[in-house]
Amino acid sequence: MLQDRRKDLLIALALIAPFVAIYALVFAYPTIQMFRISFTDAPLIGTGKWVGIANYTRLDNDPLFRRAVWNTLYFVALTVIPGTLIALLIALGVSRLAGRLQALVLALFFLPYILPVSVVYLIWDWTLNFQFGIAMHVLDWLGIPRVPVTKSRTWFMPAVAWVTIWWTAGFSILLFLAGMRAIPAEIYEAAELDNASRWTTFRRITWPLLRPVTALVLTIQLILQFKIFDQVYLFSIGGRPNDNMVLVYYIFNKAFQQNQGGRAAAVAVTLFVIIVVIAVLQFQLLRLAGRQRQ
Amino acid sequence: MNFRKLMATVVVATGGFWAGSAHSEETIVWWDFLSGGDGVRMKQLISDFNEAHAGKIKIDATTLDWGTPFYAKVQTTAAVGEAPDLMTYHASRIPLALTQGVLDEITPDDWSKMGLSQGDFAAATWDAVTSDGKQYAVPLDTHPIVLYYNRDLLKKAGVLGDDGRPKGMESKEAFTATLQALKDAGVQFPLGSVTADGNFMFRTIYSLMCQQGGELMTGEEFLAGDNAGKLQNALAVLSDWTKAGLQSTYTDYPATVALFTSGEAAMMINGVWEVPTMTDLAKQGKLFDWGAVELPVIFDKPCTYADSHTFAIPKNKGKEMSPEKRAAVLETISWIIKNSLFWATAGHIPAYKPVTESAEYKAMEPNATYSSLTANMIFDPKTPLAGIAGPIFDVMSNYFVPTLNGEMEPAEAVQSIQEELNAL
Repeated sequence: MLQDRRKDLLIALALIAPFVAIYALVFAYPTIQMFRISFTDAPLIGTGKWVGIANYTRLDNDPLFRRAVWNTLYFVALTVIPGTLIALLIALGVSRLAGRLQALVLALFFLPYILPVSVVYLIWDWTLNFQFGIAMHVLDWLGIPRVPVTKSRTWFMPAVAWVTIWWTAGFSILLFLAGMRAIPAEIYEAAELDNASRWTTFRRITWPLLRPVTALVLTIQLILQFKIFDQVYLFSIGGRPNDNMVLVYYIFNKAFQQNQGGRAAAVAVTLFVIIVVIAVLQFQLLRLAGRQRQ
Repeated sequence: MNFRKLMATVVVATGGFWAGSAHSEETIVWWDFLSGGDGVRMKQLISDFNEAHAGKIKIDATTLDWGTPFYAKVQTTAAVGEAPDLMTYHASRIPLALTQGVLDEITPDDWSKMGLSQGDFAAATWDAVTSDGKQYAVPLDTHPIVLYYNRDLLKKAGVLGDDGRPKGMESKEAFTATLQALKDAGVQFPLGSVTADGNFMFRTIYSLMCQQGGELMTGEEFLAGDNAGKLQNALAVLSDWTKAGLQSTYTDYPATVALFTSGEAAMMINGVWEVPTMTDLAKQGKLFDWGAVELPVIFDKPCTYADSHTFAIPKNKGKEMSPEKRAAVLETISWIIKNSLFWATAGHIPAYKPVTESAEYKAMEPNATYSSLTANMIFDPKTPLAGIAGPIFDVMSNYFVPTLNGEMEPAEAVQSIQEELNAL
């Protein structure tokens, strides 16, 4: 028996070894290096001198870093909960349809999700163009003065948040739909027999039973939106990059545009810590709320 | 058996062919970032070069993404010895490149092998590739910004001179009057400006600063002395035009070109690289009578911002270039530079003087008209912080957009720019 167990272990190790090796090479090792160079003044390529926590302390008086943190949090607030709610609403609507029609409508909502970010950017940049954009003609028709959406401080983040929700809602909708299908039809039948209204059915049955899916969607969204970069970068090319600064954009700037690998790594570590703390907090909070219900 | 024998013969034959050609022919791995109308022209030059050097040198060219992606790739590949043999480079990026150690020096010996020397280039251009008395690139062209104009609209508004150039090129008041006359004649946007893109407007604003004798950096200090005032003057001119409705607002680059080519904007300040767009449209009969001239003198003296496309040899870490390959690279640079008359059709002004002094070049319009500005050029300040996609660009751009569109007063913008630049 003992012999067998050792054999099992060996086979298991052999099977996971390729994955572990690749994981260590392309994920674990670079991560450790990132922590290490965040304490040096290394350029993008090569090594630097040890500078202790200087890269971290200078973040404290860096107005651009503060703006990046603020903008990132603002963006997360604009996307995570609204995006999840919109996806839930759409999923509730789609679940009432049946057969081919449901498949078609679902496909339409899922379509933007398969587009690459560059295409998403181009579609919306053309739509919102100040001179020629179709949205501006709608404003003209309504008699509202034109708004330079992606060039104004007020509208930039809400606009990018809207584009992001439009782009990524498809995936959340799919998760919600899967969650709804897992709820047994008998429960709804029982509710119907008890003469429960639609709202009561949703509040007492659908919403509580969807809780695990909702928690999953929220967590995925939270982590995803903290890493916001592509859309903000594309929409602010040439415009007002410093007003629109978000954390990953700031890392990109420091590392690739200003050749300051050490300082970029310090910001990356900070973002890493923020995400870990918030994700753990959120998870605990959702778990606690779930327990109280029971 | 027969099949196997046949395969063996084929393998030997092709192997022999490759080996044979490798001995007599040097392959130059070439990277550039030229993807627009000028990219098409460069591909033509490369294929002409390959034809003229058949069996001796062959260019294997790849076009990469312009801007940060190109420069990030050069830096990372040079660090592991995988950079190309030859690449295009912006003169404004050389100071940053030197701190990264990615450029190999072009030695006096190299210059004599190429048959080129300092006297073949404009002083400002030569200076742009020089650091501590050494050269790090060979200038191919200079690409300044110019003033494009629509002769039909100008004539209608009565502001076209007898020489076919716009009136009012001598002062701020005169040029503003020209813009006003166009407005009064019913032109929606007298001047099409890339007001949504601060990076782009840096070129115009820097030109206007230079016209007052101002500089961005004095030693290591940003906007020293009265230079802040000069930046404010430059911004004020543009923001006044916006307030008077003489300039398009929140216009991005493609929209600006579209406004001009569709006749909605009567004039446009843009790079010479848009010349092929105009020539091609005119050839198809889809464009009005157009011209391009040096920027108006808004302040004390003529001055125009320019950058230069150059050729540079990457310093590949741990990989020495063989003398034969180096000779082939130098021959490539030399040939392209000496044949850069064709490159001028992309709008750029060839850096090699014998080309711009030739009768063929002088017959090219509007190139010959605006090439006089090479006497009044200013390049980016020589600092690793400058250049395309550099931090100076980002800081300035951030305040240019609101100022140029009337959201912010020039004085406030200058103060914020000064604070942020000094915090870099």
